[in-house]
Amino acid sequence: MATKQVRYEALVKALHADLYRYSYWLCHDKHIAEDLVQETFLRAWRALDSLKDEKAAKSWLITILRRENARRFERKRFEMSEYEEANITDVKAASNEQHIENHWLREKIAQLPAEYREPLVLQVIGGFSGEEIADMLSLNKNTVMTRLFRARNQLKEAVDNEPKLRGLDNG
Amino acid sequence: MDDLQFRRSILADPNHRDDAINAKIKQDPVNKKFTQDVTALDDDIAQALNINVPSELVNKLMLRQTFASHQQQKSKTRMHLAMAASVAIVMGLMINIMLFSSTYKNLGDYAIAHVNHEAEYFSNQSEAAISLASLNEKMAVFNGRFAKAFGKLLFADYCRFDGNKSLHLVFQGKTSPVNVFVLPNNEDIKFVAQFSDDKLQGRSLHFKQSNVIVVGDKQEPINLWQERLNQNISWSI
Repeated sequence: MATKQVRYEALVKALHADLYRYSYWLCHDKHIAEDLVQETFLRAWRALDSLKDEKAAKSWLITILRRENARRFERKRFEMSEYEEANITDVKAASNEQHIENHWLREKIAQLPAEYREPLVLQVIGGFSGEEIADMLSLNKNTVMTRLFRARNQLKEAVDNEPKLRGLDNG
Repeated sequence: MDDLQFRRSILADPNHRDDAINAKIKQDPVNKKFTQDVTALDDDIAQALNINVPSELVNKLMLRQTFASHQQQKSKTRMHLAMAASVAIVMGLMINIMLFSSTYKNLGDYAIAHVNHEAEYFSNQSEAAISLASLNEKMAVFNGRFAKAFGKLLFADYCRFDGNKSLHLVFQGKTSPVNVFVLPNNEDIKFVAQFSDDKLQGRSLHFKQSNVIVVGDKQEPINLWQERLNQNISWSI
């Protein structure tokens, strides 16, 4: 019992931040993201004995969270494809300039199609390789790499095309 | 690797390097610039993705888990309690059965135990004290009566032995008292016509509502006693 408790606490401390961020970029809502993380860790606690390999913990948790998220849509079908600006988090950044830059890029990321955004989040936040992402999303590796390419390509084009606006914002 | 492939590969994973990619970066400054741009963009993306995590989230997660495991334990203790209760009930039933079920499985055992238990109270030499009238008064409880007196009746009273109310008669015998029991039929006790142990012998008569048992020592003509009883006794119902 005690060791299970210790394992769980270590898991929460090490991975809750990444999981929350992943969750947020999956659903674009702070509260839903938090609920999803809580539900995920609760399931993880119940099934902790089935987690044999600590290295696989992160992808295990992400798989649980994706399932929870899918369940949410089974219960209640509401339109998530439409992106609402008001939903984007307004976070305190180190400096105002950084803040505006982040906010601008966040909007762009949020506007990416979900199937492009998800692999990108997994790669950048999760640090997963193309194969691992392909595994988690049940896609083949080439598809994942193509989506990653398209995601970054769209962001890069957005950055390249809007220097004036950003300059104004920054100014 | 052509330029398009190179760009695709860098955009798909800016941190991935192999010989072909390294060669392309060295080969053309444009490629190097492109790589640097994408890496810089990736840093921005990483920063943008790193939204703040609610500070109380860790505590919430710990709290949820504590509640969950507390509930698990609660259901475990409930389970233990239920098991303990079941054991207690079984124990109670067993004690009940042992205390209140008949110790003696047949009439013979019952009668011999009864005689042995009370042997010291009766002497073969005591004066006869019971009249036929008072005997029949007692017999009325069992709906029976004796037609005439026979033998020398030393004692007649109700006895409770092993949970059964019975009428206990003690007659003067040749060397030791002869005991006669009149007791109602009891399903729990098996009827046996003849029985004995190392000192005593006995016969039982089975009537509609009652059993009449004679017990005496081995010198006693039990057959004769039984015959006398059988001829004398009559049942009103």
